[in-house]
Amino acid sequence: MSGKASSSSQPSIGLSGSGALSHIYIQYPPLRCSIPESRGLHYDDGTKLLIPSTSNQIFSWKTVPFNPLATSTSDSIPEGPILSIRFSLDTKLIAIQRSSSEIQFWIRETSEAFSHRCRSDSENILGFFWTDCPLCDFVVVKNSGLDLFAYDSVAKSLDLVEMRKLNVCWYVYTHESRLVLLASGMQCRTFTGFQLSSAGIVRLPKFDMAMAKPEANSKPVLAAEDVYIVTVYGRIYCLQVDRVAMLLHSYRFYRDAVVQQGSLPIYSRKIAVSVVDNVLLVHQIDAKVVILYDIFADSRAPISAPLPLQSRGFPRSYSSSSRSSGKDGECSEVNNKIDHEGIIYGDNWTFIVPDLICDAIAASSSETPSVLEFLQRRKLEAIKAKQLCLGIARTVILERRPVSMVSKAIDVLVSSYSLSLKTGSYFKGIKTESTSSGVAKTSVARSSTDVSTSRIDGTSIRHESTAGVDSEYPSRASTFSASESEENASSAPLRTDSRDLQLGGGKVDRVNLTGAHSSGPTDNPVFVNISEQQDSELTSPAISPDEMYKFVFAAVEEEMVGDPSYLVSIIVEFLCSTNMEKIKVHPNLYVLAIQLLARNERYAELESFVTNKILEPSKEVALQLLESGRQNIQTRKLGLEMLRQLSLHHDYVSLLVQDGRYNEALRYARKYQVTTVRPALFLQAACSSNNSQHLAAVLRFFSDFIPDFRTTSDFTTYYGILNEMNTSVAATSF
Amino acid sequence: MGLASASTATDGMQLCIFDLRRGQNEGQELDKILFFFPADLPFSTQLSVIGLSEGLITFTRIFSPEAACEIIEAERHSHVFYEAETDIWMVMVVEKGKDSDAIWRIDALRKVLKEVHSLFVMFYGSIRAMLEKDPSGGLIRSHLYPFIMDYLSDFPVGKKLQLPSFRDCLKERGTVQMLTMGREAAIEVQSLVSVLDSCAGNSSCYSMILFHDLLVSTTLSPDDTINLFTYAVLRLSPNALSSGVNSWSYIRRGSTSSHFVSGSALTHSGPVSEQIYHSSDTSPVGNNINRVTRALQHGKWYKGKDGFLVTDIWGVDVGSLVCATPTVWLQQTEEAMYLCPYQFKSLTLILLIPVSSILNGEQGVALVKQQLLENASLKILKVEEKLSKGWGGENAYHVSGYRYLLVDGDRNISRASPPGKVTTLAKESLLALSKLRDEVDLEKSRAKRDNAGCEKDLEVSIRAKNNAWAIARITGGKELYMVLEKASETLLYASDAVEKFSNRYCNGAFSLD
Repeated sequence: MSGKASSSSQPSIGLSGSGALSHIYIQYPPLRCSIPESRGLHYDDGTKLLIPSTSNQIFSWKTVPFNPLATSTSDSIPEGPILSIRFSLDTKLIAIQRSSSEIQFWIRETSEAFSHRCRSDSENILGFFWTDCPLCDFVVVKNSGLDLFAYDSVAKSLDLVEMRKLNVCWYVYTHESRLVLLASGMQCRTFTGFQLSSAGIVRLPKFDMAMAKPEANSKPVLAAEDVYIVTVYGRIYCLQVDRVAMLLHSYRFYRDAVVQQGSLPIYSRKIAVSVVDNVLLVHQIDAKVVILYDIFADSRAPISAPLPLQSRGFPRSYSSSSRSSGKDGECSEVNNKIDHEGIIYGDNWTFIVPDLICDAIAASSSETPSVLEFLQRRKLEAIKAKQLCLGIARTVILERRPVSMVSKAIDVLVSSYSLSLKTGSYFKGIKTESTSSGVAKTSVARSSTDVSTSRIDGTSIRHESTAGVDSEYPSRASTFSASESEENASSAPLRTDSRDLQLGGGKVDRVNLTGAHSSGPTDNPVFVNISEQQDSELTSPAISPDEMYKFVFAAVEEEMVGDPSYLVSIIVEFLCSTNMEKIKVHPNLYVLAIQLLARNERYAELESFVTNKILEPSKEVALQLLESGRQNIQTRKLGLEMLRQLSLHHDYVSLLVQDGRYNEALRYARKYQVTTVRPALFLQAACSSNNSQHLAAVLRFFSDFIPDFRTTSDFTTYYGILNEMNTSVAATSF
Repeated sequence: MGLASASTATDGMQLCIFDLRRGQNEGQELDKILFFFPADLPFSTQLSVIGLSEGLITFTRIFSPEAACEIIEAERHSHVFYEAETDIWMVMVVEKGKDSDAIWRIDALRKVLKEVHSLFVMFYGSIRAMLEKDPSGGLIRSHLYPFIMDYLSDFPVGKKLQLPSFRDCLKERGTVQMLTMGREAAIEVQSLVSVLDSCAGNSSCYSMILFHDLLVSTTLSPDDTINLFTYAVLRLSPNALSSGVNSWSYIRRGSTSSHFVSGSALTHSGPVSEQIYHSSDTSPVGNNINRVTRALQHGKWYKGKDGFLVTDIWGVDVGSLVCATPTVWLQQTEEAMYLCPYQFKSLTLILLIPVSSILNGEQGVALVKQQLLENASLKILKVEEKLSKGWGGENAYHVSGYRYLLVDGDRNISRASPPGKVTTLAKESLLALSKLRDEVDLEKSRAKRDNAGCEKDLEVSIRAKNNAWAIARITGGKELYMVLEKASETLLYASDAVEKFSNRYCNGAFSLD
């Protein structure tokens, strides 16, 4: 069987995109794994491995970092049926489900095997997974409950640690959330949840999911395919499809409560849900479109209009990964191979929480501020998000959108920058930016099957995941790049085990909720810890005022035609925002504002801008005022005044002399002991006034003011001139 | 009632406007009179005042064609001249020394003439234009009379007209008083301004914002700013509105104000005025006489439910009962603008919308107003809050120990000690400063004539009879006048005090030494 498992995703945020009528792209080329006689295709979200198998061999492809040319490793195992495969988190063991009552373990190093069987015949294994919970390493979900085991590497056996008895119809689990939801009841709509995090096991309160009844007496049964666990901005949600009501209900998990958050409409009988960079994608499969939601914002409105999924690169062939049960019904995750490349949402597609990245195209969204807000929360590709933000900012200004709207957009950018300053992420962002070319590439190339595992347990420390990942995947160390660390840090703060903390010590302003007992569900969300600012810490799309000036205002100013007052208003709005956040603005922006006002001959307003210190005094500003003051004497005065107030004595005195106000200049020079202006300038000015008394006074002044002045050539020259003047005066008067 | 009683109370103040180009033939002399106050003076008297003025103007023009006669100082009267428009002169005759307060600063009186003319032009356009429209003069007379009478009605104190005298030497008419605010507030204001200016879509509006009686921001040209500011303070600001309500009840302004107003255009009586003003009845526009809008009429503005100030001065649309929106002319652009004042607490916003940009009249204006409310309400709220927080009250700009007037001649801005504090000064101090200002005015106009463009620096300190110091300093276009009553020791002490003041309140503008 030739399996081509797909891989997808990514992006390229360039606005130029291919046809550009899509928000979501599948990355091309896909990962192709062609295994002869392949019997099944599995995906293990704990280790992010794609696992095709034959009757006696297991191949595994790493999907992170995504590389379409990656080669597989293979393990020979005892022959037998394979219902499901999961590698242990350190990939030393392989667990293979052989039947509904038996799981075989394969120790890769020694090629040894041991088995685990259910104790009674009435028990059925529904599934199993490896965990990094300190209490246990391996969890088996059975129709009678959960069995938690610890692996004893010496005895090479599983020790039962704990049993949780309850009836289970089916379950869902994602490694990212570390959350297992067990469905029970007639309709399978009663849920018990456990989070097996590194902080221990948290049992969630039992809750029922809402299901509309098609008619009075019928009771629809909820299927495992209709329930999704998603992690968005570090929060864990469960999404449930209500096929009768055509709604997608969402529930948010807290330590002691599960709160229904509202519902999204669905437009297709069949849908799938995935999350890319904290954006919820709802694939309306019948309609073949994707709708994007940012559930951080409270609005239930989609971010953008529904548009089809497209592939990037060569669009005709690729395939997608799929989630779930497929034919064998028992295993939880299987990748169905897709034979028909190029068919989007083919019948045999199912979704495996693919990690697609979305490309929010500004032009297709009318709500610029919310788009910016959204982009500023991006961290997967901060650089691109940043460039997009800058591009959007330029565009809205060039298009002369209403000031109020642009103002909101600017507010978003400035407050985001301010936030990033507070968390320190901005500067880190800068650091990683230097390696940015690499970042763009590697982070872009992520596989769709990379289910980022985020264990959200309130104890994340920057870099720790990096350490964790390193120790888990030593082989990856070499390929490790800045972007990798960003990604992992942001999406998967794994491990709090002490061994993983070597690199810790980033920011400490996180919400540490583990162990804390919450009083109410809403104010103490358990699962959440990494606040967004932390997430953005390593790469931040935040834009500094300097960058705003350089890439937005100055850039826009060059292109802008017509009345510049619009741009002035925008600058004012920007100053408003920066002032609110107490952020310094580069004097060049003030200089630009002066130029614009002067160009409009709005000198009176310019004056009020300066006197009210909307444009903060600086030498740059003063010099621009002087420059613009060539057309307007009042403005020139403002510039002079500013020089004086800034105590830039030398410039002030020189300008006074230049204006022919040499007497005033002398007085000032004496008062502030300004000796740097050459006497010749004064003498020249006095000389050109053709007034011998003035010239004499200036000469006298310097003779007193500067020792040895009488010996300089200036003195001799002008003394001579003075004498000439006097004799000519004398000559005419006699 | 009416003007008869008013004229007896004016202490012989006469005010006339005449056109040198009119009535040049024998027997048509009355033609040149466009306005005369008091109106009930016999024509012979009116003509003799105007004849004297005209003669002097003609005579002085021989020597100084550009700037003819400025003033005649006679034994008992001062004649103050102001050429409002080419060949259209305004002359004010004031009696000297009849009582102790009748000591005038001539420049202050001239500024009165200038102000009333500027305001008139703002509402009706130039006198010359109106004369060209109706060469008989009826139209201009019917406009000037009520307008100036309404204007003068702001001056009476008790039973007489109180023109600016030496007691007002720490005030400067024709300047704007600004509010000082912090950077944050200033940015907020500027942000509001851009919303206001873009209220009417693409056509550019102008705006002016006042807080109490102080200017916060303007996008108008300096001259237009002064005019509109003056009008706003006279009629639109919260102070003006509340006093306007009372002006008919004789409480605040005294009964004379109502005499002036009621005695104006609508009910003028007596054969004299009849002859002048009713002569225009025969002209085509004469029938409009009763429909002349009295832009300065008292107590006619009130605040509507939506926060906009409305008035029926400009008429009421019969169909919809909507008050017509006033229009004003901008000097700089010569554009007609709708005047839409909006008030929120102590904040007064004046929006000027180009008439040409509004096609469907009142409906269009209402739409723009709607826009303003929608776009700016929040910002207005914010700005008001910010300004109120920083507002130091009526005496915010009082500097203890000093009585001062600071004039920025370039920007037409002035700031002075609050009037309540100035009244504490002794009469001698005020007289001394008034005299000093007279001298400085003279010096200034001389300097201006001699070498335009070059600014004169000036420093005068004189000691009054009561040992107070009256000080004037001019530098770089800025003027500082000051009375120091307690700095009597030495000139050095006084000059130190000025230095301190300059450093602390004028960014050191007057301490160049």
